[in-house]
Amino acid sequence: MRNKSDSFMRKIPAKHQKWLIQELPILEDEGILTAESRNRLERYYLNKVTTRGHWATIALGVLGALLIGGGIILLFAHNWENLSRSGRAILSFCPLMLAAALSALAIRRGGTSLRESAGIFHSLAVGACIALIGQTYHLPSNTPAFLLTWALLLMPLIFLLPSNGAYLFYIVLICCWSGAAQDQYGQALGFWLLLIPALIYVIQQIRTNYQSGLLALWGLMLMLPIALGMVLERTIPGLWIIAYASFLSLAGLLGMRHFPTAYGWSNPLRTIGLNGVTALAYICTWQEIWYDIGWGYTRVNFTHQESGLWIDPALTAGLATAWAFVAAKTLRRDCLPTLVLCAFPLCVCAGFLLAAYGESAWINALLFNAFVLALGLAHLAQGCKTAQLRQVNYGMAVLSLLLITRFFDSEFGFLTRGLAFIFMGSFFLATNLIIARKKRQLESSPS
Amino acid sequence: MNLRVFFFTILVAAQIAVPLHMIQQRESVLRDGELFRFKTEPIDPVDPFQGRYVWLRIEEDYAPLSALETEGIAYNATGYATLGTDAEGFAHFTAWTHEKPTETSSFLRTTALGPEKRWEEREDGTRQAAHQGLSIRIPFTRFYMDEAKAPRAEIRAREAARNKDCWVAVRILNGKAVIEDVIAEGQSLRDLASIKK
Repeated sequence: MRNKSDSFMRKIPAKHQKWLIQELPILEDEGILTAESRNRLERYYLNKVTTRGHWATIALGVLGALLIGGGIILLFAHNWENLSRSGRAILSFCPLMLAAALSALAIRRGGTSLRESAGIFHSLAVGACIALIGQTYHLPSNTPAFLLTWALLLMPLIFLLPSNGAYLFYIVLICCWSGAAQDQYGQALGFWLLLIPALIYVIQQIRTNYQSGLLALWGLMLMLPIALGMVLERTIPGLWIIAYASFLSLAGLLGMRHFPTAYGWSNPLRTIGLNGVTALAYICTWQEIWYDIGWGYTRVNFTHQESGLWIDPALTAGLATAWAFVAAKTLRRDCLPTLVLCAFPLCVCAGFLLAAYGESAWINALLFNAFVLALGLAHLAQGCKTAQLRQVNYGMAVLSLLLITRFFDSEFGFLTRGLAFIFMGSFFLATNLIIARKKRQLESSPS
Repeated sequence: MNLRVFFFTILVAAQIAVPLHMIQQRESVLRDGELFRFKTEPIDPVDPFQGRYVWLRIEEDYAPLSALETEGIAYNATGYATLGTDAEGFAHFTAWTHEKPTETSSFLRTTALGPEKRWEEREDGTRQAAHQGLSIRIPFTRFYMDEAKAPRAEIRAREAARNKDCWVAVRILNGKAVIEDVIAEGQSLRDLASIKK
């Protein structure tokens, strides 16, 4: 088991640690450090700091496991007809036994590279074994059953090793299962149960070490929007807009609440939430999205099951309640992203009700054009105020996306379009130059 | 650490037990199941995980139910199809029930795919779609083969199917079916595909 105090240890590359330990006697001889300081530093760097494995070693290990696992599957897929049925069945277990031995070694030794390689190889071996038995006995294709068996047999491994590779395999499998089950059985509600182990793993990883848990969180945040689209029945057209708005806003708010100082790659919740909201708001600017939605257009057939009449509203209500709860605790009037994430689901709800009962798609399109325009301008204004080039560029990207689309949407002449493009380009360049200059002045000022 | 090793051992045991159970089920069908012959026409696709196989299009893939009875069965509903053989010894489905048959062990557990209609020629020469029964999902449509032989097998078997001389031998027991062999021109498709023309 990993020591709990490991979570508070800083990780540094081994070569940096070695260099510093070699430097300490020199610094003491030069009179820069006292003997006591030297001993304290030595003790700290030898006992309190763990050395970090090189990323290339891990990447090569993972790639090696992937290639060997894939190669074994292809070798078996060749279908060795000369072997007897029992011979082939026994052979199907060989990769699994090899993978189990590798995982056992990884559990004993515990190195990151070995754990990740074993996790990926073991994940592939489980799937290969089931697939090859299917080949030997000419079993029919039952994709959801195959994916579910694979995922369930793999799931405990992500905790026992633990391995990010096995976890990523698991979330890809459950995402694919949701699509296959929706296609074959007409519903994929079991996805939410399968998601629980993945959530537990991510929370565990983030609590143990935020940096190493980031990959797991990114995987989850990239998988969830895809799976949500597959799991929703869409029996009530348009309800997906509220479900997505609540989910993305909830993710963004959770990211801002729990990791307030992390941005970009370091905060997948915030990044996916804010960018997702911007993308969804942009989609909502199109009039076509708001046609034929609401309870008046309910459809029931094999692809839109009757159970969707309560599953979709329940899921949407659950997401919206969670969003409302987090929004009430996180709302800050002086923070633009928080305001956007708190306001967006409300706007979407209003739009849905307007379109469902008022049949006014154009009003919604107008409302969301105004929303995206305000969003772009607000980011631009705040970026200029705080001299943050990233926020300025984000605001300008949103504005240009909206303006360019609406521009091509409408019937303007080439001359007008050309002049408008030149004007927009010049405006963006000038703003960037001004902000960059302002930033340099702020950095060089003595205060 | 001991607890982790203990759970890991259980996991590996489960990972071995599941495929072993799959093998045991299929072996018991091959050993004790009744043999049926279905007329078929093979096609040759690829599965990225399981390799190359010949896809078998079974001619008699429906249970003879009336249009009214068929309408009452939901798409994808699970049920049991009972089997019979014609004068030539080829199998066909005789009925469909939601309850598991108790009087015989030669039935197939499958799902409903809606009404089966086929084009029939009228006396005046025109064609019309006539109701045949309830179309069912056939759980023995894949015959895995050597990657080099599968395309050859498809060509040879299609020629045989044209002459009504291609069938799949399937063992069926208590709802489960396992392919024993595919026969074309009187010999196993594997042997036939080994002959390079």
